[in-house]
Amino acid sequence: MSADPDEELVRRVGTGEPEAVRLLVARKLPRILSLAVRMLGDAAEAEDVAQETFMRIWRHASGWRRGNARFDSWIHRVTLNLCYDRLRRRREWVTDAVPDIVDPAPLPDAREEPHRVEQALQAIAPRQREAIILVYYQEMSNIEAAATLEISVDALESLLSRGRRALHTILARDGAHD
Amino acid sequence: MSDGSRNEPAMDAERFAALAAAYGGDLRRWPQADRRAGAMFAASEMGAVILGHAGKLDALLDSYAVKAPGAALHGSILRTAERHLVKRRRQLVWWLGLGLAGIGLAGAVAGLALVTIVTPEVPSDHYVLDANATAFGDAGPDGETVGEDL
Repeated sequence: MSADPDEELVRRVGTGEPEAVRLLVARKLPRILSLAVRMLGDAAEAEDVAQETFMRIWRHASGWRRGNARFDSWIHRVTLNLCYDRLRRRREWVTDAVPDIVDPAPLPDAREEPHRVEQALQAIAPRQREAIILVYYQEMSNIEAAATLEISVDALESLLSRGRRALHTILARDGAHD
Repeated sequence: MSDGSRNEPAMDAERFAALAAAYGGDLRRWPQADRRAGAMFAASEMGAVILGHAGKLDALLDSYAVKAPGAALHGSILRTAERHLVKRRRQLVWWLGLGLAGIGLAGAVAGLALVTIVTPEVPSDHYVLDANATAFGDAGPDGETVGEDL
């Protein structure tokens, strides 16, 4: 397993070093927040999740030991679990029944579509959404993303393919209606 | 980015399309082990078409940007961290104090036990005074009786 680039910083946070705390927040807050915003589609809720994630980091930093996952994977898992708690509360579970067939309709113009992409991401199954977010937006490798989701690389590829097909279908359909 | 996958020497159209469908049209997102073979196939006409198709969805996904964290959130998280660290320091001091007190108590008990065990038993150089004892012996009624018999 390759070295964890965050390990030394987390050790310093664990000893209560204020500069290390500031550095960790600067390094991880944008990643945690963007993950939560894209998972939940709600900026205010995402900020709450980011705060809770950091509370867990402060609590566990002094005892954190690298097991099978890097620190970055661990905080992604923590953030995703907190997002799932909120999704469960909202009862916004979407099944895998979102269409898997590629719609031949053309996709809308990217410059006009950030809001539509946000809505489309919220419309696909959460497991497909998190796979796309981790690999596409969080720029994780396939191995890191699979480890974070606790699935095989093949299962990750399946989630990614189905998720992208569903997004394509939703975006093409919505674009055609406008 | 991606840093592992299968060790396939060459790539066919089916595998290329499957990877593009999963990871998109940018080969930098593909598994490390598939990038070289993928780049070779991408140079073909079919490869360009497949990547172009995947790239359209990538462009849409790129359009969805998330705002950077605000100063208020950043400050709030740092204040929470500070409170947590202060609390933790207090707990450490408390535990340290408790530990020192424990060590002191254990030392006192051990010292007492050592004194009790190691100190030799010295015969008692005092006696109990009772009502019949005098400097010349027992002056009780039994003593007198013994003298008369002799």
